[in-house]
Amino acid sequence: MSNLSDFISSFEENYGKLVESVEIFEETRASIIAKRGSYIEIAEILRDEYGFVIPIAGGAIDYPEENRMEMNYYLDSPDSDFIVIYRVHLARDDLVLPTMTTVWEAMSFHERETKEMFGIDFEGHENMVALLLPPDWKGGYPLRKDFKGEGVE
Amino acid sequence: MPEPKIESEIMRISWGPQHPMSGQTRILLDTDGEKVHKIIADIGYTHRGIEKVLENRTLIGGIIPIERMNMVDSSNIGIGYVTACDKTYGLEVPERAQWIRSLICEMGRINSHLYAFGLQAEATAYFPAVFLWTTIDREVLLDLFEELTGARWSYNHFLPGGVFKDFPEGFEAKILEAVQYLRRRFKDYWNAMIENPMFEMRCDNVAILEPKDAIRLGATGPVLRGSGIPIDMRKEEPYAAYNSLDWEVITEDACDIMARTKVRFHEIGQSLNMMEQIAKEIPEGETRARFSPFSRAPEGEHITRVENSRGEMSIHMWTDGTTNPYRVKIMPPSLRNMYVFERLAELSEIVVADIPVVVNSIDPWYLDSDR
Amino acid sequence: MEQEEQASRILENVPGASLAYKLVDFIDGWSRKYSIWPIHLVTGCCSPEFMQVSGVRFDMERLGVLPFASVRQCDCIMVVGIVSRKMADRVKYLYEQMGEPKYVVAVGACPTGKGPFYDSYSIVAIDEYVPVDVYIPGCPPRPEAIIHGMMELQDKIVKERRLGKIE
Repeated sequence: MSNLSDFISSFEENYGKLVESVEIFEETRASIIAKRGSYIEIAEILRDEYGFVIPIAGGAIDYPEENRMEMNYYLDSPDSDFIVIYRVHLARDDLVLPTMTTVWEAMSFHERETKEMFGIDFEGHENMVALLLPPDWKGGYPLRKDFKGEGVE
Repeated sequence: MPEPKIESEIMRISWGPQHPMSGQTRILLDTDGEKVHKIIADIGYTHRGIEKVLENRTLIGGIIPIERMNMVDSSNIGIGYVTACDKTYGLEVPERAQWIRSLICEMGRINSHLYAFGLQAEATAYFPAVFLWTTIDREVLLDLFEELTGARWSYNHFLPGGVFKDFPEGFEAKILEAVQYLRRRFKDYWNAMIENPMFEMRCDNVAILEPKDAIRLGATGPVLRGSGIPIDMRKEEPYAAYNSLDWEVITEDACDIMARTKVRFHEIGQSLNMMEQIAKEIPEGETRARFSPFSRAPEGEHITRVENSRGEMSIHMWTDGTTNPYRVKIMPPSLRNMYVFERLAELSEIVVADIPVVVNSIDPWYLDSDR
Repeated sequence: MEQEEQASRILENVPGASLAYKLVDFIDGWSRKYSIWPIHLVTGCCSPEFMQVSGVRFDMERLGVLPFASVRQCDCIMVVGIVSRKMADRVKYLYEQMGEPKYVVAVGACPTGKGPFYDSYSIVAIDEYVPVDVYIPGCPPRPEAIIHGMMELQDKIVKERRLGKIE
């Protein structure tokens, strides 16, 4: 799919019911918010059918007032002129997701970093070791909004 | 005499932060004799928490910490952040300012590629002469930077809405002189590095990265273009003045270390052409749009993608109506290339003696990947 | 201390001993100040400026400063740039492995007092881990400032007393 509006209309027609929303975010960015149930299935469809094979990055953001976090994956394709941001919402007291390394192998480093900065657990990740923080880090998730210092809960 | 019973075992070598060629990181190698079975990259020795620090600064005050993410090539990171600020505030940058931004970015790119050559020559052929050549050639560029921006390394010359100051008197003539000098030196570097039989022996057909693996593992920058795939953010999402300049994307098909070095060489040639065009054809006009530094940023989120000398760098900025950003997510190129480096041991045969050469062909900058 | 008292008695009573002591002191200080070997350890973002100082234009080797790889044969650690917690343990480990007399130079605003990242959760100031002799401010410091800092260290080496208060 090389055109953004073609992609949006084709995706909405075939898979619109399996995701929460599909929208144009900026001129060359498409944003897809997934449901927890069909999370990995839609990722595989994006990779195989629409050709989004280049993994750019993965990261999270914390909204403590709305009591939720959001996990984003950024994907690119060699034939298209736009990127896709694949998102899912998580409740703050239920931070568990299946791992994306089964679909895009290179998300491994980004999931390790998100686990130590935000505390989101990725089930099925093979090598969940600290990436950036020291190995004797005494607790606390630094990029959460209520982080007060190392070792302070 | 009876033969001794020889068993092979895996030994783990730690190539640590205190080593002349390792950089600021530790790399663990699982070896069996000379063959490397597994590479584990233990990064994080220069982690500063820039993403948290930027939440406590205003949008314009955040330019200072973020340019120190990569000291050699700081303009190509600063422009990503400043373009995101431009989009947030909805500012229209005048054309002369876009051309000045492109000039500073291209000079930073040449600076960074010369630094990579110095390290690569020292690792491959123990050639400290080339490393010392690069220190004097980079001084030519650093003198130009000092005259234009006031600093040698992290310039902080970009502002939302334009650049800080215009060219001083007679600056275009100095740019043309520097370009001529660097073109003469280009031939010396080519003879010393590419036409050198020691380089050919150590770099041809070593650490081959096939195109489909490069795409699947998320390689970026000269690592990706050295495998034949023409992806460059300056053509995909043009920013600054790259639409108005005359240049092309460089790719090589050999997929080995020599191909990546040649990509960097030809990129320096393209950058020198662009500097010459800018010095001769820059349009007149203003250099800054009107903007008040402490104004509140409207609510929203924006993503910017720029081409650093090591690959694609993206910034995703969320703002919430106050003077500080809500969250800034930085996606550096070296983190993606370090994952490719870890998998290279499984994709091709590497021996222990090749490891410094392979690392310098990937050209990671650990302050970038650790933020 | 016992050795110092013995030394003071010898220098006062034996004729010519204090002159001989001053001569040996001078030769020792002079030869050590022109041969400070720092170790190959760059910790942070000021490292390109360090490379330029040991390059061709601002030549640091004319002062005798030669970066060397093996820690047991070096005299000083130049802590160049930011020091995170993970790296500070390594710096302390290396400091304990060096032989006496040893010196530490903190180059840049970041190892001195955290620099532009003053409110970061992951950086430390290096003088909580090892004792520092010379601080060189700047972000990054100019090459002339780094050379000035090394010359201050040379002055400090010459003025050190070898055997207590004897003058």
